[in-house]
Amino acid sequence: MNRNLLAMRHLDVDDIQYLLAMAQMHKDNVEAGDYPAPPSVRRSVGLLFFENSTRTRVSFEKACHYLGYQPVNFSGDGSSMSKGETLRDTIFTLKHERLDALVMRHRSSGAANLAAEYFGGPTVNAGDGQHEHPTQALSDALTVLSRKGQIEGLNVAIVGDILHSRVARSDAWIFSKLGAHVRFVGPNTLLPSVMSGLPGSVHYDLKEGLDGADVVICLRLQRERMRGPHLSSSREYTKLYQVNRAALRVANPEAIVMHPGPMNRGVELDDATADGPQCAVLEQVTNGIFVRMAALQWALGDDRGDA
Amino acid sequence: MKTVFKNGRILDPSQDLDVVGHVVVEDAQIVACGPDVDISDATSEYDCTGLWITPGLVDMHVHLREPGEDYRETIKTGTRAAAAGGFTTICCLPNTTPPLDTPALIDFILDKSAAPDAGGVFVAPVGALTTVKDGQTRMANLASLKSAGIVAASDEGVPVQDANLMLHAMEYCRQMDLPIMAHCEDLSLSANGQINDGAISALLGLAGMPRTAEEVMVMRNCLLSLQTGCRVHILRVSSWGSVELIRQAKYLGAPVTAEVCPHHFCLTENDLGEFDTNFKTTPPLRTELDVDMVLQGLSDGTIDAIASDHSPYAAHEVRVPFDEAPFGCVGLESALGVTLTFVTHKGVLSPYETVRRLSTAPSQILGLDAGTLRPETTALAQVTVIDPEVDWTFDVKKTFSRGKNSPFDGMKLKGKAVLTYCGTEIYRDALWDSSRDNAAL
Repeated sequence: MNRNLLAMRHLDVDDIQYLLAMAQMHKDNVEAGDYPAPPSVRRSVGLLFFENSTRTRVSFEKACHYLGYQPVNFSGDGSSMSKGETLRDTIFTLKHERLDALVMRHRSSGAANLAAEYFGGPTVNAGDGQHEHPTQALSDALTVLSRKGQIEGLNVAIVGDILHSRVARSDAWIFSKLGAHVRFVGPNTLLPSVMSGLPGSVHYDLKEGLDGADVVICLRLQRERMRGPHLSSSREYTKLYQVNRAALRVANPEAIVMHPGPMNRGVELDDATADGPQCAVLEQVTNGIFVRMAALQWALGDDRGDA
Repeated sequence: MKTVFKNGRILDPSQDLDVVGHVVVEDAQIVACGPDVDISDATSEYDCTGLWITPGLVDMHVHLREPGEDYRETIKTGTRAAAAGGFTTICCLPNTTPPLDTPALIDFILDKSAAPDAGGVFVAPVGALTTVKDGQTRMANLASLKSAGIVAASDEGVPVQDANLMLHAMEYCRQMDLPIMAHCEDLSLSANGQINDGAISALLGLAGMPRTAEEVMVMRNCLLSLQTGCRVHILRVSSWGSVELIRQAKYLGAPVTAEVCPHHFCLTENDLGEFDTNFKTTPPLRTELDVDMVLQGLSDGTIDAIASDHSPYAAHEVRVPFDEAPFGCVGLESALGVTLTFVTHKGVLSPYETVRRLSTAPSQILGLDAGTLRPETTALAQVTVIDPEVDWTFDVKKTFSRGKNSPFDGMKLKGKAVLTYCGTEIYRDALWDSSRDNAAL
């Protein structure tokens, strides 16, 4: 069966758990040296990135490699979209290039829904504007699972620029659906004005937000998306919201610190924390490969290895 | 030639009429209207038993897209859509390419709308309030535009941000008794916004437009109207705060009027679904509370008129990521049905008051030659026959408008204009029962 992975908001718990179990299986196999095992299964996956990406694109490519899929790269700059083609026509074209699945990142919220509609086949959202980034959420959940053994009952604090973050939204959905208590922590100017639709409590004060936290997810200040005076100064923001040793004193001593990257060291977290044992940033990156394997297989209805 | 609209419920607030009777038209002009009029010697008859006979409906807020944007709509297609929607007089707003800021362009609109292949409705042009000269926004030549035939001036699409410019524009319009149709939006507050700033914008990750972006300018324009005495018509009220501010301004004696669009009194931000660009409007669809308060404003008369803000776009402009899509939706052919369904049949307005909001009031606000069935008043007889009970489904594919961007596509509605008459029959709906005709008397 073909499926789309567009938003964590729409995924039910069974699907999330299935994806995480598949990802864990891939992780175990890869770490045991069992890959690249499968022969090519003649599936080609279009990787269409209209926004810059390092880790997401590379991990999708790597996921294809392990699965025996063929990744086909497109970027916004070099494609016909820079010549004035509409997204709709670009997607129609890719569909007729006989791609089997589409992975897309786009600067507009909701663009993944359009892509799925026009592509008409398995579509994976690799980040749409400020809406969602579901595979990042899967990677974050897998990271917490491997460090903590479980997600249910944990306190998960998401700290920083919530307003402009698609990761914040996807993470909030996945962790709350899996039974964690989500907290949004940040200045009022970087939180949506009405939070009632998002699953989590709101904290302007970092200490309050980190009190007893088991997982701390730091977010980058997305200056490229800010239109208007959201900040007094970086310095004041850092003073109030930087995740560092002092701030973590109120958290669970075993708390882990995560960041979807790219990190701005010295702003949202300090060097000591970024390089310390609590930090799980590089595991998030590696887990990104395994969850994207699971996501691509799931979307394509490729049930190899399915228990 | 004597045409009789026979035995219908005549609803005409301009002469306090809500009575079963007849409307008689001779030589394209209404000569009699009421229960006891002579209908002998008719050359043709429309049997309106069980139907409403109303003054031709008036839509004071329409974008006809000419000149310059005829891939979206033309005067021909837009006026035909108007006739099909039950309208006999419409106002076209000035934000075209180029904008309607010279008398020659007003002549162009008037000529084209009177062409034999157009829809047969009257088009009353609204002139641009401001124009850009030497890189600077300033007042347009409003006196010349008025001589050319504009019925109002408007900053639609380019809302005046500079309060001092608006003050002087109002002073100038006041001396000519020219109403200003005000687009109330503080662009610094709405900048980059896509939908209402609220729970749904947070969920979808779309930048929000706060209600204050509208309300701040509603308040400013009401205060300037109070100061200058200029008549100000507030375009498409969408927020409960705006309704309250307009109520207060009227109480203080400001010569302010207001309109609401059908999408703002029956849809909310929750109806956007997964990024459906047909629901992207400015001001944005708001919340249940706003809808309730807007309906209350309609009911108590704070909101004077219902207007469609008919904003057609080409398909390729709408089938894009949400933040690239334009604001607005078509409305001429759904406005009456949506109003009857969500306002009249729900008991918010009586049939009589519904006709006031859709015909008499807009006519009076802009001083139009329309909005009445009073004998020998308008240059041409303008009559709309409405079947208030007929069930139908709005199918945007079947509309006359070139624009197919509607949030109402597929909606089940109750009530429709079945015959539109403007000097002559200009539209006959498929739902009009031909046994009601009696042409061979």
